[in-house]
Amino acid sequence: MTARRLWWTGVIVAMAALAACGDQGPDPVDPGAGAPEPPGPPDPPEPPEPPSPPTDGLALSITGGGHNVTERFTSDLWVHGEYAYTGTWGGFEREGNPGNALKIWRLEAGGAPTLADSLILPGVGTVSDVEVSADGSVLMLSTERDTRAGLYLYDLADPARPALLDSVHVAEGLHTATLGEIAGRRYAFTARNPGQPALTIFDVTDPSDIVLAASVPIPPTYGIHDTYVRDGLAFVFAWDAGVIVYDVGNGIRAGSPESPVEVSRLVTSAGAVGSPSVHNGWWFHNPVTHEARYLFIGQEGPGSIGASSSGDIHVVDVSDLAHPREVARFHLDGAGTHNFWMDEDAQVLYAAYYNGGVIALDVSGTLSGDLSSRLIGQVRFGDETFTWGVMLANGFLYASDMLSGLWQVAVEP
Amino acid sequence: MAAGPLSSQQPISAHVAAQAVGALTRVDPVPGGGDLTEFRVVQPAIMARVDGPARLSLLTTLDFEGATISEGELTAGTWGEGFIDRRHPHTYVHELLLSGDDLLGRTDGPTRLSLTAGKGFAPFGTDDPMSRPVLRYPVNHHLAQILERAVAIGAVNRGALTAEFGLFNGDEPEQPDQWPMIERFGDSWSARLTGRPVRGLELQASRAHVHSPENRAGAGPDQEKWSVSGRWEGPIGAHPVYGLVEWAHTSEADGFFEFSSLLAEGAWSTGPHRLYYRFERTERAEEERVSRFRTLRPHQENSILGITRWTIHTAGWSAVLLDRSRVTVAPLVEVSYGRVAEVGGGLFDVVSTYGRDYFWSWTLGFRLEYGGGPHRMGRYGAALEGTMPHEHRGM
Repeated sequence: MTARRLWWTGVIVAMAALAACGDQGPDPVDPGAGAPEPPGPPDPPEPPEPPSPPTDGLALSITGGGHNVTERFTSDLWVHGEYAYTGTWGGFEREGNPGNALKIWRLEAGGAPTLADSLILPGVGTVSDVEVSADGSVLMLSTERDTRAGLYLYDLADPARPALLDSVHVAEGLHTATLGEIAGRRYAFTARNPGQPALTIFDVTDPSDIVLAASVPIPPTYGIHDTYVRDGLAFVFAWDAGVIVYDVGNGIRAGSPESPVEVSRLVTSAGAVGSPSVHNGWWFHNPVTHEARYLFIGQEGPGSIGASSSGDIHVVDVSDLAHPREVARFHLDGAGTHNFWMDEDAQVLYAAYYNGGVIALDVSGTLSGDLSSRLIGQVRFGDETFTWGVMLANGFLYASDMLSGLWQVAVEP
Repeated sequence: MAAGPLSSQQPISAHVAAQAVGALTRVDPVPGGGDLTEFRVVQPAIMARVDGPARLSLLTTLDFEGATISEGELTAGTWGEGFIDRRHPHTYVHELLLSGDDLLGRTDGPTRLSLTAGKGFAPFGTDDPMSRPVLRYPVNHHLAQILERAVAIGAVNRGALTAEFGLFNGDEPEQPDQWPMIERFGDSWSARLTGRPVRGLELQASRAHVHSPENRAGAGPDQEKWSVSGRWEGPIGAHPVYGLVEWAHTSEADGFFEFSSLLAEGAWSTGPHRLYYRFERTERAEEERVSRFRTLRPHQENSILGITRWTIHTAGWSAVLLDRSRVTVAPLVEVSYGRVAEVGGGLFDVVSTYGRDYFWSWTLGFRLEYGGGPHRMGRYGAALEGTMPHEHRGM
């Protein structure tokens, strides 16, 4: 260190001159730049080419909803059967209201949402994630801020009137919660916020008795933001720590929800955003090629909420789960990505894009390099749009917009 | 500082100074609307400098704001380290630095080369507001100074020019008892060039790269910082006069966020009386708040709610009523008026947060000093015009 210090002393004047010129030095700790590349196996042979992608694009047209939540900012959504549910965000109060409400929507015959009821959660500042179990019996909410942040489960025997079954309080709050069915049991994979960021897994097989199954610390470089669970694997999206793959019942590492075992991790590229900012993802099971090759990752870059955003979609080849590698990227000028949904049969990725609305991306075939030519559709919800989430259900897209509520969108080739 | 050698027979001397300000402050409005009035003891500090053999000196400033304003000082517009509209308390060890000055002695002629290491200010921007006339901290504190870091600074002075370069840790403290993350030392740098073309006038330009200042683990965006200033300290006519004009700019997250500040302040003294004024126009980020005066820490992501611009006029008067045995007592009155505007888009709304888009604040207080009060904080070794920091303190 002494030699380094003396060397620096010797170049003080030169550096000052350079500094005055406004030269920007390289980021000395770019997590991606310095990470050693794990030795990977030889590339597998390329699969046969799938059917041609829908190069003519998709027409995304608004058919219902919108401007239906004006007293709070809207967060996540879930649609099941004839009902939809949206959360509310309280990072900044709107009309004096925190994000303590769950909005319950009845879908009309044409699929348009009509507000049926609102559920107020005392002691909650944000309803950060919403999901309904595949069988439609349980509604799950993760919540943040205030004194009663945590995990909430509701009985949906009457889907218009969720009835609280059980809840657990997590002081730091839970950013997201994802249901996973493993070995005949149901688990909630939750993202516990900093300062003790962790993948916290609850056994919710009995939804009236939430039981902690495991808690796996995540590096505090903003911690964990979301989890995608499929085939006994949990993909943890952990910001600057990248994506971390855990065996939670797949068998390749003998892991379980009670004892997750890391399979691999990858820090995706920072790009112009300056940080990997790994936020969310979707592991694509392609029914055409019968591959589970690609993991789509959402990068949440800096933004001014309600106005501007940044961050790209990164594509990671996980055909060798032990050695994932980034192979492609999609960038949209002037906006950044947020939550995903997929129409796997059609090989289309839908991404909420904050001030960019919702985009549709053709993800058929081999994905490599710049995917800008794969953009096949986009819809914005007026001049002021800031779209949080998107979901395909009942033949329509539904999108939750922070500024204007729940929208229904028709998708036509 | 009080200059008094411990022993005239040894080449070691010690200089000690101290200060505290009792301040009754009212701000109208505060976040959530309405006004708030508080009495607090602010800027309580003990400064000591020991000059030893071989041109070595040890400088320390102990700051006790962690005890007196643990919830911050009521100051409209200020922000940083998890506080907003309250100025954060400084860490208990504000400065602790060892300097070796004029390391090459006569071999480099009139050139002074110094090395400084310890905890203190990075060589960037202007003096710590604690050592300037206006009691109220400016909104631009975190645009115009980089403080309380583990620093290693080289400085070269020859004639009227001084160049400094420093390496330090990017993380800023979040609590008064927190130390810099030593493992992050060297992830950030700054450089400053200072010219003194005529006696009393000081011009500086500086540049810094700061890695993840607001996330100690290192996940936050980097900052690129610039500062240019001109400073006058000296008599005009029969009256001591101080003046400072500065421009500071911070570009964050590869330019996604840009914050600028323009500040001008001056003081004029006659007898025991001093009149002073500051104009400031500074932009700040609006973050999610967990309460009226606190923002979310640690951060979860890099988004903000918007940017606001604070345009503030502050005028004040103080007078030394007692000056005895190196102790001075000076009452002071300060009044500020400011306007707040939204810049660009985002959810943040000034009126819904404060109730209106302008504010008034006033402070009645008294400043108690021993040994001359604070030195010019932020310059060490050859970056000091002389060898005794008390000779160059702000007014």
